[in-house]
Amino acid sequence: MPHNIYLPNLARVIYTKDEVPGERAIRTFHLEPMNGGWFDHQCGQCAMLSVFGRGEALISIASSPLVKGYKQFSIMRVGRVSSAFHDLAMGDVVGIRGPYGNSFPIDDWRGKNLYFIGGGCGLAPIWPLITTAVAQRADFKNITVFYGGRTSRDIMYRAELEKLRGSVDVHLSIDKAEEGWDGYCGFVPAAVMDKDPNPNNAIAITCGPPIMIKFVIQNLNKLGFKDEHIYTTIENKMKCGLGKCGRCNVGKDYVCVKGPVYSWAELKYLPEEY
Amino acid sequence: MEKILDKKRLGDWVDALADYEVLAPAWEEDAWGYQPVNGPIRLDHPNTKQSPKRLAFPQREVFFTFEQIKGEAPRLTQTLPEAPRHAVFGVRPCDGRGVPRMDQVFNDYVEDVYYNTRRKNVAYVGLACNKPPNANCFCLSVGGSPVSTDGLDVQMTDLGDRYFVKAVTETGKALMTAAAGVFAEPSAADKKQLKDMHAAAVAYPQRAVNDPDGAPAKLKANFKSPLWDELARACIGCGICTFLCPTCHCFDINDEVQSKAPLKGQRVRTWDNCQFPDFTMHSSGHNPREGTGARLRQRVSHKFQYFHENFGMHQCTGCGRCITECPVGIDIIHVVNKVAANAA
Ligand SMILES: Cc1cc2nc3c(=O)[nH]c(=O)nc-3n(C[C@H](O)[C@H](O)[C@H](O)COP(=O)(O)OP(=O)(O)OC[C@H]3O[C@@H](n4cnc5c(N)ncnc54)[C@H](O)[C@@H]3O)c2cc1C
Ligand code: SF4
Ligand code: SF4
Ligand code: FES
Repeated sequence: MPHNIYLPNLARVIYTKDEVPGERAIRTFHLEPMNGGWFDHQCGQCAMLSVFGRGEALISIASSPLVKGYKQFSIMRVGRVSSAFHDLAMGDVVGIRGPYGNSFPIDDWRGKNLYFIGGGCGLAPIWPLITTAVAQRADFKNITVFYGGRTSRDIMYRAELEKLRGSVDVHLSIDKAEEGWDGYCGFVPAAVMDKDPNPNNAIAITCGPPIMIKFVIQNLNKLGFKDEHIYTTIENKMKCGLGKCGRCNVGKDYVCVKGPVYSWAELKYLPEEY
Repeated sequence: MEKILDKKRLGDWVDALADYEVLAPAWEEDAWGYQPVNGPIRLDHPNTKQSPKRLAFPQREVFFTFEQIKGEAPRLTQTLPEAPRHAVFGVRPCDGRGVPRMDQVFNDYVEDVYYNTRRKNVAYVGLACNKPPNANCFCLSVGGSPVSTDGLDVQMTDLGDRYFVKAVTETGKALMTAAAGVFAEPSAADKKQLKDMHAAAVAYPQRAVNDPDGAPAKLKANFKSPLWDELARACIGCGICTFLCPTCHCFDINDEVQSKAPLKGQRVRTWDNCQFPDFTMHSSGHNPREGTGARLRQRVSHKFQYFHENFGMHQCTGCGRCITECPVGIDIIHVVNKVAANAA
């Protein structure tokens, strides 16, 4: 019997943490595969998660490939499936299939300076890269993380980000000034300009709301970053993850297979359908 | 294998196919559709309203069922189709050519076991078009032909009081061998008549896409053209054009729940449609294909550019259904010709 690509494996919720409160709350999960259903993944890949009775959603794998035994996901409450995840309790069992999509070429980046630039929920897809680079710290030169939320309550992975300080330059920002906030106030693209990152021997990886990505890339170009040294991800709506259901394409490419990771040098020549 | 079948003996051939559920075009309410054969069979239909694509890719199919008692792990049960073997008669060449296009999609990168399980149980018995059955046929300009055997297991050609029957695949041979007694050997005159009829079929005037080979590059160059909005202005987004298309394959996956406690339900695949706004709408509300122009562009570019860039052939087989059945008269031939003629 050939492998059934639509049949998920089962996985158990072994850890949950509320990251961000509010209407679009973000919650982090660790899922431990059951019945030997483990699969390895690369930084940037996704998995199709399901709550039976509610349906499936494609979610970035937020843990490093170096982490074995469970995979981490951070899910924003926006719709049917994501809300069902927020209603789960420890020990509950969900479905998982994957890994899907391409990955960041981290091996090509050893010996370089890395700039990570994230906004909102966009820290999750680049978190495996950040944590892998930190675990292999000696392989990389300077590592800098810019990350912004709308308010201080919207900063996800707050404790983990604080722990990176020392080996990584961490610059947190919020959109508008708040009492007691000593980081940058303003939008992420401006927060990046404020620190004047050096494009020499550097790679910039950005992920977040499309409008943020657009201005971050404009600013990186102004700073002298070459298109092929800027990486981002696209999140078109997906159902199958397998290049068959026909909805995630940008031009001839199904993002679920050819993406979600693109260098700006590649992306800028694709039709604007994301 | 080439044989002659007296029209009066078509029923005998069908009767001999006891291992198959035999389908053939029949008039149902207000349209031609594929129906199980019980009784006399006639193959004098224009094309059917729906193509036979649903035999391998049904409108709705269950992937698996789930059952969960509170506090326990869910139990999943695969429901791989126990598809009956189908022999479908009267398949027009354009719909035959749809089959390898669907095979390509459902086997690209990884295989879709639901599609393949059904697909390998379908035998396509084609009927050559002595003349195009429909005013909107344009198979010739998209690389097909009224006498194409692509995707078919058997090709039948109407020679008046008898059919010329040709096996195209091993499956086709087996279908014919199952009823060896009903066929006769073709004479030299039969063969000549077949040749003449096929030559006439190909010479019969059809509508046409003007520059099919140039279409992919021209469509690409016109991605941002305002023509798309103009051409799509009348579109009401009903999706008929893609539901009826023999090569449209987009689908949705959803959970259907029969009971909440204990949880009982199934995960199902259903046809979906690129002409619907929420097909691509992100959960933020942002839609990369806002507006009917962007969605018409997707449908037409998929048929005449993207599929060609990926697989080296046009996805459209020229059946004309999307033109004939569109309630507001959006015409894919006109759209491709108009956009391709535009200097981008
Ligand atoms: C590559 C990739 C990676 C992703 N990674 C993550 C991740 O790490 N974390 C994460 O949280 N999500 C991620 N997503 C998004 C995720 O796949 C789902 O789209 C999201 O969770 C919403 O799914 P849902 O079923 O909850 O929403 P649905 O119930 O499907 O609701 C969302 C859909 O419903 C409609 N809709 C709902 N509300 C509105 C509204 N107010 N206005 C208009 N339309 C509306 C829209 O059509 C929308 O697409 C990723 C997506 C991709 C493609
Ligand atoms: S695009 Fe229209 S004419 Fe072409 S195969 Fe599909 S339904 Fe037929
Ligand atoms: S059939 Fe016509 S009106 Fe309906 S979605 Fe297609 S192009 Fe639009
Ligand atoms: S998600 Fe189905 S084709 Fe990409």
